[in-house]
Amino acid sequence: MADKQQMTTGSHEEHHEVHGISRYVAIWLILLALTVLTVVTGKMDLGAANIYIAMAIATTKATLVVLFFMHLWDEGGVNRLVFAVSILFLLVLILGVFGDLTTRIPFSLPNSGPIP
Amino acid sequence: MSSSDPHAAHATSVGHHKLPWYQAHHFDDIKTQVHAMRLGMWLFLGTEVLLFAGLFLGYAVYRWLYPATFQAGAAQLDVTMGCINTIVLITSSFFVAWGYHAVKMGERKKGVILLSFTILCAIVFLVIKYFEYAHKFHEGMLPGKFYTFTGINLPGANIFFAVYFLSTGLHAFHVIVGASILAWLTSRVFKGKYGREYHVPVELGALYWHLVDLIWIFLFPLLYLI
Repeated sequence: MADKQQMTTGSHEEHHEVHGISRYVAIWLILLALTVLTVVTGKMDLGAANIYIAMAIATTKATLVVLFFMHLWDEGGVNRLVFAVSILFLLVLILGVFGDLTTRIPFSLPNSGPIP
Repeated sequence: MSSSDPHAAHATSVGHHKLPWYQAHHFDDIKTQVHAMRLGMWLFLGTEVLLFAGLFLGYAVYRWLYPATFQAGAAQLDVTMGCINTIVLITSSFFVAWGYHAVKMGERKKGVILLSFTILCAIVFLVIKYFEYAHKFHEGMLPGKFYTFTGINLPGANIFFAVYFLSTGLHAFHVIVGASILAWLTSRVFKGKYGREYHVPVELGALYWHLVDLIWIFLFPLLYLI
């Protein structure tokens, strides 16, 4: 009985591949490098490009954390699906609201000044 | 669903008596239970993403309406402190990943030390945050009617600081909750409850902590840098 339990626990371990910590160290160093990069590019005046660069770096960092620190790289389908769907709905929320905001007539916005 | 799983059918035939303390009797086997625990945690993390989504959306809308104000507001924040806090959180994420790995490998003592380092990082983060907040309280950069700062003469300046306090405040609350969960897990590892054969709660606590790091990864550039 005890052996049986040991065996089943072991089998989920096989599924969850066992890596050394070298992968965690590599991800940690990349995350630190990207943090320095985002501070350096954030201090440059690149106009409208600043926000896109900052978001691209942040998204890269977040992807590394989710895939390797949070093990979604090794993890099976349904957990990936759950997280992907939450990101999808985040995008739906932002796109829906900005679709409204950017197509309004100007004086319906709070920063447009007095109505002519 | 379980009938299609050969492992589940196998374990049911063994019977429910003398299960290990960590296995609930309503699961066919430990594999199914671990699967359910992980799925439950990811569902919760999905709702956490959506909780912060509202604040990120508020940020995006007001930034779009008042771009100059938001740049002037970001210039008021201390990039050095924000950057140190980013490094502290990323390092804490590394420690908790390593600590979980140590517990999984049965190195309990190492696990306890690494999880304690993670909690220490959380405390350092909160202390730095305290100094940032204290400075802003002193300058009157408070949300709503308490806003008395006169350094930015642009419309929407108080909104920037309202967004700043709400998003970093909710995040700081998550840091406190995450550190408390890790402290509880660390004491359980220390007592020998979790080790080589059962370590899923440590994994799930670590997942929560990584999410706290994840949110800060976005908050830092949005609020401090651009």
